[in-house]
Amino acid sequence: MSGTPIVLADPPGPRGRRRILISSIIALVVIAGLVTLALLRLASKGQLDGELWSVFVDQPDLRTLLWNGLLDTLRAALTAMVLAVILGVALAMARMSRHRAVRIPAVAVVELFRSLPVLMLILFAYLGLPALGWKLSAFWALVLGLTAYNGAVISEIFRAGIASIDRGQTEAAAALGLRPVQIFRLIQFPQAVRRMSPTLISQLVTLLKDTSLGFVIAYSELLRSGRGAVEFLGSRYALPIYTVIAVIYIVTNNLLSALARWLDRQQNRRLGGGHAELPVDGAVATGARPAAAVPEQGGPGGTRT
Amino acid sequence: MPLVTLEGVGKSFGDNRVLSDVDLSVEAGEVVVVIGPSGSGKSTLCRCINRLETIDEGRILFEGNPLPAEGRELARMRSRVGMVFQSFNLFAHRTILDNVTLGPTKVLGQKRGQAEARARELLARVGIADKADRLPRQLSGGQQQRAAIARALAMDPVLMLFDEPTSALDPEMISEVLDVMRSLAATGMTMIVVTHEMGFARSAADRVAFMADGRILEIAPPDDFFGAPKSERARDFLARILQH
Ligand SMILES: Nc1ncnc2c1ncn2[C@@H]1O[C@H](COP(=O)(O)OP(=O)(O)OP(=O)(O)O)[C@@H](O)[C@H]1O
Ligand SMILES: [Mg+2]
Repeated sequence: MSGTPIVLADPPGPRGRRRILISSIIALVVIAGLVTLALLRLASKGQLDGELWSVFVDQPDLRTLLWNGLLDTLRAALTAMVLAVILGVALAMARMSRHRAVRIPAVAVVELFRSLPVLMLILFAYLGLPALGWKLSAFWALVLGLTAYNGAVISEIFRAGIASIDRGQTEAAAALGLRPVQIFRLIQFPQAVRRMSPTLISQLVTLLKDTSLGFVIAYSELLRSGRGAVEFLGSRYALPIYTVIAVIYIVTNNLLSALARWLDRQQNRRLGGGHAELPVDGAVATGARPAAAVPEQGGPGGTRT
Repeated sequence: MPLVTLEGVGKSFGDNRVLSDVDLSVEAGEVVVVIGPSGSGKSTLCRCINRLETIDEGRILFEGNPLPAEGRELARMRSRVGMVFQSFNLFAHRTILDNVTLGPTKVLGQKRGQAEARARELLARVGIADKADRLPRQLSGGQQQRAAIARALAMDPVLMLFDEPTSALDPEMISEVLDVMRSLAATGMTMIVVTHEMGFARSAADRVAFMADGRILEIAPPDDFFGAPKSERARDFLARILQH
């Protein structure tokens, strides 16, 4: 999540730069051509007519409908996000427990939820649970399905975050006399959260998009509201309405990512660590060892020799 | 009564016998330097003393009592033993000051203000008072290791364990850490130091223990040991290490 883009190769030399320039130009021309072609076809079919697109201005009800759809999407997504993160942390902790009796059920739950399609979990919550005498609203069925799947995935993300922390960190904490619970809370948890935050955010974006599966159980989220509108107004309006819905998803998800980046920076300012870039102490820069060679965690990778 | 006693300590990792029949007792105020070839079990010995590793045979007494196996008692014992690692192991997400105050506030229950005042005093003592608000990775290796020593000292330990504290450092940073350790020894701190720094062993140790193949082959005051090593292995080792 830092500023510089991640690239796989060495920085290109003069020949590489020329090649990149040429292929970029070709790609641009091709893309521009395709877009023009698409627009021309749409125009010839009357899909770009002002009347079709001014529907958002002409029909205040449509705006209200989509707005309410967005609110329902956000409501389901935020509820499921909170619950999934809680479930994920709980499952990860259970899976790292010293007791087999705690570990094994956690493994079973994670593997089960992770290997089922989200759609199935949602349908099961909506149609299966009532058969067991547990009637859920469409909202809660959707939230439950999303929570089960994403909780399992997040628990694995979180476990990987914990596992990636150098063992020296926990040993140093234990050597001070901290108890295991304190070590988890003060050392492992904060460091794991910092490391997993990029992966976690992309999972939460996936969750937000998956609220559109609420569609199948008649939950009135954004996409379903849009389809309702298309059915009501006629399929001529499909392109404008779905385009606007796509834009809403893109904007919402990017806002979510931006929020995450902002939180990350705030946290950096306070404590640093993880994957942040920070100014380097002058004393280090003037030392024999270049600053970049001072490894993260303050020591050589291996914990001991 | 010795501060630490090891009696017939043995340990294996699987088939690999790492410590066999180790006897050692360290009096309060003593500085024992442990040397020996790589893989001879020095780190393991050091880590057994605060139970970062468990032992298979024998027993270890700390202040006359066997090491507690778990729980609050183990944590309390560890809080009285400071440990300094080869790779520093400062808490990467906390400032230097927070690294030093964490133990006193969370383990000893000191007030934040009191712990901070003491931490600043210790950081000044190891010469990095101006780095208090930095993160570990903004410091050089030598500065990080001195911060790690301050972190351990903040617990007011009765024993300090050092496992090759200078092995990860560039040459010009080694002496700044060794100087801190020498002055600590001079204050009467009980120390067990695993190191390859023979100069430090000569000047600061009360006794030098030579380990090979998981055993302590010799233990003697530095003048005796370096002057006339008794075992073949020790002579070989010294010949090799003193060559360069
Ligand atoms: N966690 C572990 N699991 C398995 N084997 C281990 C473990 N830790 C150490 N060993 C083995 O125990 C033996 C002694 O290791 P130890 O680290 O105590 O040696 P050392 O004297 O400190 O060596 P060095 O000078 O290289 O640090 C080695 O053979 C090592 O491979
Ligand atoms: Mg070692």
